[in-house]
Amino acid sequence: MTATSAQTVIAPTRARTAAAGATVRRRQGFQHGAWFVAPFLVLFALFVIWPLLRGLYLSFTDANISGDATSFIGLDNYREALDDPLVWESLGHSAYFTLLVVPCITVLAFLLAMLAHHIERVTWLWRLCFFAPFLLPSTVAANLWQWLFNPGTGMINHVFGIETAWLTDKSYAMLAVVVCTLWWTVGFSFLLYLAALQGIPAHLYEAAKLDGANAWHRMVHITLPMLRNITGLVVALQILASLQVFDQAVVMMDFLPGPEGSTRTFVQYTLEEGFTSYRVGYASAISIIFFVIIAAVALARMWLLRNREEGGR
Amino acid sequence: MGRPGLNRRQILAGLSGLTVAGSLGFAALGTGADALASGADTRVRYWNLFSGGDGYNMIAMLDAFRKANPGIDVKDSTLQWGSPFYTKLAMAAAGSRAPDLGVMHLGRVPGFSPGRLLDPWDAGLLAKYGVREADFNPELWKRAVIDGTLYALPLDIHVQLCFYRKDVLKKAGLLGDDGRIVPVTSVDEWFDVLKEAKKATRKGLQTIGMWSSDQNFQWWFFVAFYTQLGGTWFDDANGEVTFDTDKATQVLEFLRRHITDGYVDPGFAGGAGAEQFVNGGPFVWEGNWSVPVFDSAKLDYGATPLPPVFGRPATHAESHSFVLPHQSDRGGAANEAAHQLAAHIVRHAQQWAGGGHIPAYTPTLSTDAYEKLNPQSEYVSAMDHQATEPKVWFAGSTGILAQRVGPVVVSSTMGSAKPDTAARRMRSTLTELLAMKNPMDGQTAAQGGAVA
Repeated sequence: MTATSAQTVIAPTRARTAAAGATVRRRQGFQHGAWFVAPFLVLFALFVIWPLLRGLYLSFTDANISGDATSFIGLDNYREALDDPLVWESLGHSAYFTLLVVPCITVLAFLLAMLAHHIERVTWLWRLCFFAPFLLPSTVAANLWQWLFNPGTGMINHVFGIETAWLTDKSYAMLAVVVCTLWWTVGFSFLLYLAALQGIPAHLYEAAKLDGANAWHRMVHITLPMLRNITGLVVALQILASLQVFDQAVVMMDFLPGPEGSTRTFVQYTLEEGFTSYRVGYASAISIIFFVIIAAVALARMWLLRNREEGGR
Repeated sequence: MGRPGLNRRQILAGLSGLTVAGSLGFAALGTGADALASGADTRVRYWNLFSGGDGYNMIAMLDAFRKANPGIDVKDSTLQWGSPFYTKLAMAAAGSRAPDLGVMHLGRVPGFSPGRLLDPWDAGLLAKYGVREADFNPELWKRAVIDGTLYALPLDIHVQLCFYRKDVLKKAGLLGDDGRIVPVTSVDEWFDVLKEAKKATRKGLQTIGMWSSDQNFQWWFFVAFYTQLGGTWFDDANGEVTFDTDKATQVLEFLRRHITDGYVDPGFAGGAGAEQFVNGGPFVWEGNWSVPVFDSAKLDYGATPLPPVFGRPATHAESHSFVLPHQSDRGGAANEAAHQLAAHIVRHAQQWAGGGHIPAYTPTLSTDAYEKLNPQSEYVSAMDHQATEPKVWFAGSTGILAQRVGPVVVSSTMGSAKPDTAARRMRSTLTELLAMKNPMDGQTAAQGGAVA
């Protein structure tokens, strides 16, 4: 009885001690973890959160590039932005670019990944060829394509025997930027697809083959469904990246907004207002508007994905 | 003799400390070596935007200055032309890290917040180094003076020119006895010249290259021909837009006609015009900075100001000028050396003229050496009929005015907008800009700023 009661007393004590030990370990673990993430948090706060808050404040002022003679003007910048045709025009250009790039890059990346996955000889060479352009800085890629699109001496017109003014005709300028972007950035999505393809268990294909499924059936019923998540990721990343298109367009157009302003993207317009017109307050306001748009797209994507996952269950 | 009492962490910490110390040491050594190597008492930090042939010329002129003035070390930096340059210069001046001397387009000076981002020139110091107002074209000097104070020291004017191939024009019978293009004084005469030139042009080449889709060039050409028609922009008080849409339409129709009549191939837009010219095209409208390019291609060519098709000669002109970016403690030896350097380059502009620019320092223009320069001496008259953008804060090379109005001119030239529609759009843009406040001082053009 004594022993039993002693045991009954001891057991909860041990349990409490064990629980307390776990709490201490968790706390210690948290402390260690906090030290590991601290550098990131500091940099994130310094280079993302602080500029964002500062930009938000500036958007309510008429700040100029020198930072002095600033006064609070409330929502004037936002009102002006809504009436500014260049805001809508440049937003349209960014959206147009996104609409062209996202489907093309998704399909292209998938096809290239399929090719690289199924080719059995010198596989490293194919992977390198498809991925290598992504390693180039944007300025190099843009300059390269500027040469290729040159109407007089460029390779594109020479090969196809045409005389299209790719970079100086407003009907083609954005297309030229799109082509450059596809070549330059497809490698990243290609790599994601390739990794996903390699992750599909081979026995699924073997079983399907035994059941008499042909290549098309295997593609439609195994490959594509198994790649659904990665496709969602590729599309989402590409939408967010494409909406922020800037450097390749600017370099290809020699730092101008393209023929009749046809490649002036929203980021470029923000830069022009802030650093050419020196209207830092106004540029901050339109960049906040853009931030809201991008955040809305990202949230919409998350919401859609969650709904789909819930629907799937 | 046991193992030293160090663990892995301590070794790593030690190594990283050494690395940091080493890099700081090297950095310090670099600065020291730089100063030692120059052996100079004074250092002038000088920012410019000259690349290509202009860059080589400027470096040669700086080397000559260094040789003549061993006590002054010139630390020059060349930055990307256009908006990036002006952004860096403005931020450096606003952040008290400005160089001692800088280069700007004269048209941008009124918008660059003289007094805040720019410091005034000391006329006494300039005179000490041999530069006086009397040595400059009065129009040019007037543009450099803001509210009665000199904020820019003009180095040159650079103009848009009509380059012509003498070999092709000779075949077309368009060369005079003096070996220069026959005079043109009206729109009809100009298109007659093009018609004849086209007949003598090899197949596959356009008759004239005129940067038909470039917003800067098209804007510059517009400014030239609009000035030929006597067009104005704003009233004297900068309170009213006086832009004449009829005259503007005339100019836009003139520019457009080059394409509709088949003298310009829109497929060869942009820099391809110069390539076509080198390959045998009879005409190209280009900036005078193309002179070294065409010289090195060993072409038999001439160059005149843009043809005075509307009667009165005028060609678009901008000017490179020296400025003193704002320093809170400007003065002392570096400031004096900046004056000395700018004065030296302005006075020794013969070499600069080799790059096609017309020296602002007028005594250079009357030297034998300058008169022997060809085709420079053929277009030196452009100095006397400069067509410039209005003197307002939003004007000047690659400024807001060019950015907003340039694409409108292009839309008419390329045919996506009708000339009269484009002219009306230009007027409404000018009205918007006139009402816009200069972000640097919160004032509209009418409220102050750029009054000489």
